[in-house]
Amino acid sequence: MGIYEISLATVVCINIILALGLNMISGFCGQISLGHAAFYGIGAYTAALMVKAGFPIPLTIAAGMISAGVAGLIVGLASLRVRHDFLAITTMGVGFLFLGIVRQQELLGGELGISGIPSAGLGKIGYLAVVFAIASLSAVFSLWIKRSWMGFAFDAVADDEDTARVVTVDVGAYKLAAFAMGTAMAGVAGGLYTYFARFLMPDDFGFITSITVLSMVAVGGIGSVFGVIAATIILTLMPEFFRFISDYKLLVYGALLFAVMRFAPEGLAGFARDAYRRLTVKKQAGETV
Amino acid sequence: MGALLEVSGITVRFGGVTALKEVSFQVNAGEFLCLIGPNGAGKTTLMRAVTGIIKPDAGRVKLDGRDISHRPTHERARLGLALTHQIVRPFRSMTVLDNVALAAGYQRFHHILKAMGSVDRSAERQRARKYLELVGIEDVADKSVVGQPLGVAKRLEVARALALEPKILLLDEPLAGLNSVEAARLADTITGINRDGLTVIMIEHNLGEVLRVSQRLVVLDNGRKIADGLPMEVIQNPSVRAAYVGKESQHAAA
Amino acid sequence: MLYLELLIQGLIHGSMYAVIAVGLTLVYGLLRILHVAHAGLFALGGYLGLLITNATTSLPLGMFTSAIVVGICGMLMYRLCYQPILDRPPYVALIASIGLFIAMEEIFRLVFGPYGLTYKNPPLQSQINLMGITLRSAEVGMVISALILLGILAYLSQRTRIGIAWRATVDDPEISKSFGIDTIKVRYLNFFIGSALAAVAGVFISLLSNLVEPTMGGVPSYKALAIIVLGGLGNVTGTLIASLLLGVVEAFGTIYIGSFLDRDAIAFAFLIVILMIRPQGLFAGK
Ligand SMILES: Nc1ncnc2c1ncn2[C@@H]1O[C@H](COP(=O)(O)OP(=O)(O)O)[C@@H](O)[C@H]1O
Ligand SMILES: [Mg+2]
Repeated sequence: MGIYEISLATVVCINIILALGLNMISGFCGQISLGHAAFYGIGAYTAALMVKAGFPIPLTIAAGMISAGVAGLIVGLASLRVRHDFLAITTMGVGFLFLGIVRQQELLGGELGISGIPSAGLGKIGYLAVVFAIASLSAVFSLWIKRSWMGFAFDAVADDEDTARVVTVDVGAYKLAAFAMGTAMAGVAGGLYTYFARFLMPDDFGFITSITVLSMVAVGGIGSVFGVIAATIILTLMPEFFRFISDYKLLVYGALLFAVMRFAPEGLAGFARDAYRRLTVKKQAGETV
Repeated sequence: MGALLEVSGITVRFGGVTALKEVSFQVNAGEFLCLIGPNGAGKTTLMRAVTGIIKPDAGRVKLDGRDISHRPTHERARLGLALTHQIVRPFRSMTVLDNVALAAGYQRFHHILKAMGSVDRSAERQRARKYLELVGIEDVADKSVVGQPLGVAKRLEVARALALEPKILLLDEPLAGLNSVEAARLADTITGINRDGLTVIMIEHNLGEVLRVSQRLVVLDNGRKIADGLPMEVIQNPSVRAAYVGKESQHAAA
Repeated sequence: MLYLELLIQGLIHGSMYAVIAVGLTLVYGLLRILHVAHAGLFALGGYLGLLITNATTSLPLGMFTSAIVVGICGMLMYRLCYQPILDRPPYVALIASIGLFIAMEEIFRLVFGPYGLTYKNPPLQSQINLMGITLRSAEVGMVISALILLGILAYLSQRTRIGIAWRATVDDPEISKSFGIDTIKVRYLNFFIGSALAAVAGVFISLLSNLVEPTMGGVPSYKALAIIVLGGLGNVTGTLIASLLLGVVEAFGTIYIGSFLDRDAIAFAFLIVILMIRPQGLFAGK
């Protein structure tokens, strides 16, 4: 692997953590968030400040995770007040609020961002290994949650909050848990991004980033861990594949987003499910003959 | 010993409409109470106020002597109030079985960290299957709830409520949408469960079934309670007859 | 004097927000879709208005044609993009709409270039002095046409058959269908009017800055969403009031707290505070 491939792989892994975090909130628990990038940013900026203050790598990432998770908990509290589309717009507002604050803060570098962040000191391959391990851990954690009783209760909340309450689910607590876990994952991704990019700009964590992450979740198939991972890989690498038509890459991106929702709203996961069903039906038919 | 459930002075307004005006009633342990009244009388609203799905503008609810007026819905459910919806609301992403298994696992997800740690659903699924058998829909257990006929969805509501092992079963028109055989069978099942000791409040339009199964009747009209007592006596009550006859002549005119 | 000036600036912005957001709230009221691509139609309106005005030297012609064409595009968008996914969960239409908006922005950039276009002879640039406050005629024109357009809309919806059918459908699609109202026709009308209004707003905005550019829909795309939420989602009167209110809050906010929050952030901080106090928006929607 050359330097270029290594950094691509690192970005893919960071995006997987980020997207699986949103999948926890929107996929598992059904709370659409249009401001996920803010938590990514909170993690990144926290880690950057910690690095600059001389703290070593595990601590910086942990600090990013905690600060993003706490912020997520607060936004989660908001999700208890507002519902559905109101929540989607509120989270979008949180994203803009974050950007607005960061842009005007001397401490955070304002418009110019934070530069000169030292590397993690693990070498490019070594760092990729760390990021890959954390991404794998995120995937395993997501799969576990999905299978657990927590995931079962999330399903109920996502399907119908009122009915979930009727069967004793403490909807508020579960929503808070989803927000805290999902945003903490975004914080980890942000911390990892800090060491990777070594230069943070407010716009890295803007509305477009939030939408991009949501696209990864939606294109993958909301709630499906493997679908989200596949979509994250594809959508992260796609601009690279489309380099030869680099001028059209955003057009292709927008059109793809639209097309998937319009023609295959269950995303890659739904697509795979259908294909599998068709295959097994054919096979059974073949066997009975 | 007081009543198991004591509802007093419930008033609910939707904008300018007063859906319930100072409604009070009690249910004793082991009783089978039917709640009747013309369409729009406020029966569903009363059940929703009792379970905390809507916040009444006034009134209190006591369960087992404990005031639960300010408890959220999920806590009331945990304390023993299980409701079925008149308009069915299954969890649409789940199978029929899992709809009930989730309810059967109410102790599993009570503590959120414990819920995170446990994955085994087999015991709850097994119990869920029993409830499905009880209401007679075990043969669609592993199907998705989407696309199930109303008769199945209605009985699923009952099975899901039973899986909560409640103190009081609140049934909102559980028989509507079932054919007469299914309705009679489900009514018998519910009566059987009541005989085994479970307290039941049932909203029902089918007066034949109501008179057959209930021990006491509460009648609502226009948001007020107009009668409360033994079924045969209540049904003879002139104001009850007027409420029904009045509505029926309106229907005939419409 | 500063207060009055800020108030007027706020109302000017607010009136433009109102013209954009009305279409959005109508779509929401009818279909429960957060129609982000509305901002793409707004930008399209700006482009068409400018191109036609430059070609014909007539601003009214440019504005009118732009409104009609964009209105038709709105109807097509409903038919081709939204109608097939209406029964899906709401995020499906939302994300589809975002995708559409991104694609539209890119098409503008690829077709008309990244730096935008300007008017050859920018119309309505003269200064007007009102009670000691200097305004440009484009600003005054925008407010006046907002008043006229929204007035016509109010009149149509109160006094004509189709208008009444339309309001009934926004209130309750199921019941109006049972009354024999052609709800499909109402939807097309809705998209036509909403999109045409967005186009007019697009033309006025381009007059104010003498510029149309691919990203001009960016701000409306999210701010109009904030406004319709503030107004109670689907509530037209609420949306109008919220638009003016937000315009004014932003005008004062940029002066008084602009040093630690930018304009967008002020708008959303306001939105979040209001929603925490009134989760259903300032005015109950549906
Ligand atoms: N969510 C609501 N908003 C406004 N009005 C409601 C709502 N729910 C019920 N109502 C009104 O309250 C009255 C009682 O309704 P309901 O309790 O459903 O009657 P029932 O179950 O006895 O048929 C009716 O007039 C109904 O229109
Ligand atoms: Mg009812």
